[in-house]
Amino acid sequence: MLKKKLVGALLASAALAASLGAASAEAPYTIGVSNTVQGNGWREEMICAIKAQALASGKVDKLNIAHRNTDAAGQAEDIRNLISAKVDAIVVNPADPAGIKDALAEATKAGIVVVAVDQAVTEPSAYIISNNQEQYAYLGAKWLFEQMGGKGNVVYMRGAAGASADSDRDRGFKKALAEFPDVKVAQETFTGWQQDQGKQQILDYIATGVPFDGIWTSGIDNVIVDALVESQATLVPVVGADNAGFVGQLQSVEGLKGAAVTNPGSIGGAGVTLALQILEGQKPAEQTVLVEPELWENATDAGKEKLKTAADSSLSPEWPVSISIPNWTTYSKEQIVACKGPGE
Amino acid sequence: MTTSPLLDATGVAKRYGAVAALKNASLSLLPGEVHALMGANGAGKSTLVKILTGAISANVGRILVRGQERDIRSPAKARKAGLVPVYQEPSLIPDLDVLSNLRLTNTPVEPFRNWVRELGVPDLDLRELARDVPLAIQRVLDLARALAVEPDVLLLDEMTAALPANLAERVLEVVKGQSRTGRSVIFISHRFVEIAALCDRATVLRDGETVGVVDIVPGVEERIVELMLGAKVEKRRVTQQRAEDAASPAGGSTRIAVRNLSVGTKLQDVSFDLKDGEVAGVVALEGQGQDELFAALAGSIRPAGGTIEVDGRQVRFSHPADAVQAGIAYVPGDRTEALAMQQSVRENIALPFSAAFRNWGPIRMGKEGATVQGAIERLQIDTRAQREVQRLSGGNQQKVTIARWIAADARTLLCFDPTRGIDVGTKQEIYKLLRQLAAQGKSVLFYTSELEEVQLVCDRAIVIFGGRVVDILPVEIADEAALTRAAYGLPRDAKADVGILADVHSDPVTRP
Amino acid sequence: MKHHFRRQGWVAGLFALLVALFILTKFIQPNYGAGDLGSLVRAVLPYAFAVAAQTVVVIAGGIDLSVAAMMALTSVTAASMMAGASEEYALLVVPFVLAMGFALGAVNGILIVVSRVPDIVVTLATLFMLQGAALLVLGAPGGGAAEWLKSLVVGTIPLPGLPDSVTAWIPKSLVLLVVLLCIVWIPLNRSKLGLSIYAIGSSELAAFRSGVPVARTKILAYAFAGLFAAMGGLSLTMSTGIGAPIPGPYLLASVAAVVLGGVALGGGKGSLLGPIIAVFVLRLVRTDLTLLAIDPNVTAIVEGSIMVAVVMFGAFITMRSRSS
Repeated sequence: MLKKKLVGALLASAALAASLGAASAEAPYTIGVSNTVQGNGWREEMICAIKAQALASGKVDKLNIAHRNTDAAGQAEDIRNLISAKVDAIVVNPADPAGIKDALAEATKAGIVVVAVDQAVTEPSAYIISNNQEQYAYLGAKWLFEQMGGKGNVVYMRGAAGASADSDRDRGFKKALAEFPDVKVAQETFTGWQQDQGKQQILDYIATGVPFDGIWTSGIDNVIVDALVESQATLVPVVGADNAGFVGQLQSVEGLKGAAVTNPGSIGGAGVTLALQILEGQKPAEQTVLVEPELWENATDAGKEKLKTAADSSLSPEWPVSISIPNWTTYSKEQIVACKGPGE
Repeated sequence: MTTSPLLDATGVAKRYGAVAALKNASLSLLPGEVHALMGANGAGKSTLVKILTGAISANVGRILVRGQERDIRSPAKARKAGLVPVYQEPSLIPDLDVLSNLRLTNTPVEPFRNWVRELGVPDLDLRELARDVPLAIQRVLDLARALAVEPDVLLLDEMTAALPANLAERVLEVVKGQSRTGRSVIFISHRFVEIAALCDRATVLRDGETVGVVDIVPGVEERIVELMLGAKVEKRRVTQQRAEDAASPAGGSTRIAVRNLSVGTKLQDVSFDLKDGEVAGVVALEGQGQDELFAALAGSIRPAGGTIEVDGRQVRFSHPADAVQAGIAYVPGDRTEALAMQQSVRENIALPFSAAFRNWGPIRMGKEGATVQGAIERLQIDTRAQREVQRLSGGNQQKVTIARWIAADARTLLCFDPTRGIDVGTKQEIYKLLRQLAAQGKSVLFYTSELEEVQLVCDRAIVIFGGRVVDILPVEIADEAALTRAAYGLPRDAKADVGILADVHSDPVTRP
Repeated sequence: MKHHFRRQGWVAGLFALLVALFILTKFIQPNYGAGDLGSLVRAVLPYAFAVAAQTVVVIAGGIDLSVAAMMALTSVTAASMMAGASEEYALLVVPFVLAMGFALGAVNGILIVVSRVPDIVVTLATLFMLQGAALLVLGAPGGGAAEWLKSLVVGTIPLPGLPDSVTAWIPKSLVLLVVLLCIVWIPLNRSKLGLSIYAIGSSELAAFRSGVPVARTKILAYAFAGLFAAMGGLSLTMSTGIGAPIPGPYLLASVAAVVLGGVALGGGKGSLLGPIIAVFVLRLVRTDLTLLAIDPNVTAIVEGSIMVAVVMFGAFITMRSRSS
């Protein structure tokens, strides 16, 4: 009787595993990673979070990381190489949601669990765990427009043209804009999420002498404050992300009003957790899992208190201070800062 | 036999900005004729050839081929009009094999093969890259390629210069054969022997103008030399008298002794001495090996054979620094080769002695400044524009190149055409300077393309022709006419009464 | 025969290196199979066309810095024209885009010939202009591609009479690459124009004297480069289904593969085969580095080192054979 039950359970679990298309997969796993922006603080933190979570989970024995500056065609190449490498799961931050659709479809067909982090992808078989980018932009923009008194000119510094995170944020920003009819966009630029480009753009704009009342940035924030301070321009309210440098500036720069909206790069670690859960048979209810952002501002005492607890001067100024996501990551701060994966 | 010319060019002129390379040249070529084109350096020979072959186009002038005006404004069109050149430098595409080179110019392969065999190259692999074919053979292939298209007019520019004797002989035979088929050849050569053996008539250019057309008969070479030099001959005879009063040849000790020096194929078996306190002139037509001679003495190329002795000790230069070490300095004609144009006069003068390896480290500014200042004063360099050498006049630039070696205290200067393209006043200063240096016991080897300079500056003239020293003239008799004759390989005492065919001294055909 | 071998020696050596890399790959990943080869060729496609474009120009003695920007512009043009359009419409888009590439390349050549400004400066300027034009066509990655076009690079070709186990090793993308390169290159190479391209690259003066129309040849060389670049742009659209206005890493990769492929940067020497094999080598090296899970920050150094090592080794061998 007992034996029969046991066999039944085994069969059931085998069937379950087969239905997931990962029949051969058993811990420890090999996880592949594909990322197409190198040398950006947020992305570096994402990679480190992936490594730290893989290590902390104890279920990953090897990470296979393709991490370089390239386009969608290059990312498709990397993904196919990861398929050749027979990884069990791929955590991908897409260069373009549609451009890598075929490659991702091939991966799922090969029985690989695909988890897109940070941004959505169009391939329906892929899982997505992402910060809620629309909400991210809406929260910050709304706070900014309130600070501006509901009117005036805002400088709108976006991310990379065509990235889905950027278009999601654009939707959130426009939603807030619609609620404040007297706020006008004075200038719209694409920083490409590059520090140097963003700084150059704001310096160029300051040089034109056209007045502005607030700046919304898509995460290229500390260099914008630097530019304002260096050129002795009026310190208008600035909204950025929770990068360590910017969080520090919000507390230290005299007369600066601003808010940091959390956009944890540690989403990479969450991606690993999700991938492992799926490999072990716990599929999420929805294909897309969203992590909700928080807003920390320095206009109220309550906000200042939050900033103070969040601030971490030991981190690189470009790293987001939210180095962990409750329920999704289990590594320690030391582990993510060390940036070592399994076997390193 | 018809007398209407095959090719008739009249009133051809070509200007480059303010400079007239060709003023009024004409050339008339009869069918079946081998016609020599002659002229001193810079007379406009190569400009006329380039115009006739479509490499450049004339500003004015009329060019008729078989009595008709033809468009010859590109090499392809000139080729179509029946004018096919063989240039001095090989014109095969180095990275294509021979066969592809033929296809490129629409040359039929079989006639080409026949001509190549005719010209004395029996075993040619058409699949060989042109780059891998020896230079002399490449010239033969050039000629065969031209002959294979059966051109009306073949232009040969210094065809035999780079050829060994046996090939040169075959080439001359083939060229002679051409005229028997009613085709014509324009033949450019510095060798009177070849001209006498081959040509029917000669057109002589001077200063961009056609000054005469002569039939080639024994003794005509004197007439040609006269035409090339023009009125200068008479004038020079006068200055010659003055030169006889000039300083007597220096009796210093031998500074450099060159013995049987040969470099590549261009320089063979050259021997001469250069004494302390002497300015020795070197005279040669273009490309007779003088560049190689100076390069070997300056340490920038290694000789293939022979020896160089400095102060009685044999030396082997493997780098220009070795020559500088031995106190031998090279002053090139092209000043851009020698100067750092964007640097100041001071830095340029100080470069050779400050850059010596042993001096690396802090430059002793005080000492450097004094040396440089001394050199500037001595040469009377106009230093108003001294921050950048490129803003100085050509003459002052040349003075800087000489001043640096005076500052570096070089004992021997190798001056290669140092007065090229500079004004008359500065030329005089440079002559004076070179004489002064000699008076102080230094020695100078002085190549010049302006023959009148020899009697103004030099104690002797070493004449090189075809890579050999053909004569060493004492300054008293080294007037332009004598130098020209010698530079063309004519013997010193061969006046009008001796035919050139008697000259075996520089006969390339019988040369071993 | 000896000369023939010496000229083909480099390509043969490169091919041997490629085979060795395949064996190494099989060793690292014993399951590496036909499907993976298909992936490799699809990754190779845009690089191969970029390299073909660069090869033509470099053989003619020039260099084209605008290759990647030209690919971006042709790619976004194709993607934006095909977005939402019918499958049949794409039949018109493809020749249009190819003609556009040819014309843009010719413009490059004309600018160089007429202005007498060095090619590196002219094509740098056109790089920026084409990049700007690409952003005008599509501000952000997007557009679409016809299904039949996308399917051209997916899967294998069933050949009658051959078992599946064999045809599995002949990916469609490889056939497409070989066919397109041959259609352009073989007639070009056999024609007088091809000969003239080698001639002006080897020695412009000698070519001029041999009656080669130097200016026209140069313009056509750039035009053919534009044609290849347009093929590269189309291949990008085919494999991603979209067009991206920001140029990918194809310019430097093309120069690297040209050098590795035995084409002299001075011009006049080399063929298309070497650079194409070189592209496969470089892509396969990347595959191996991914399979080996090498630290991603080290991979670029490894790729660069391999290239320098191969080129230096080649130069060493050439020098040895010359002196002996």
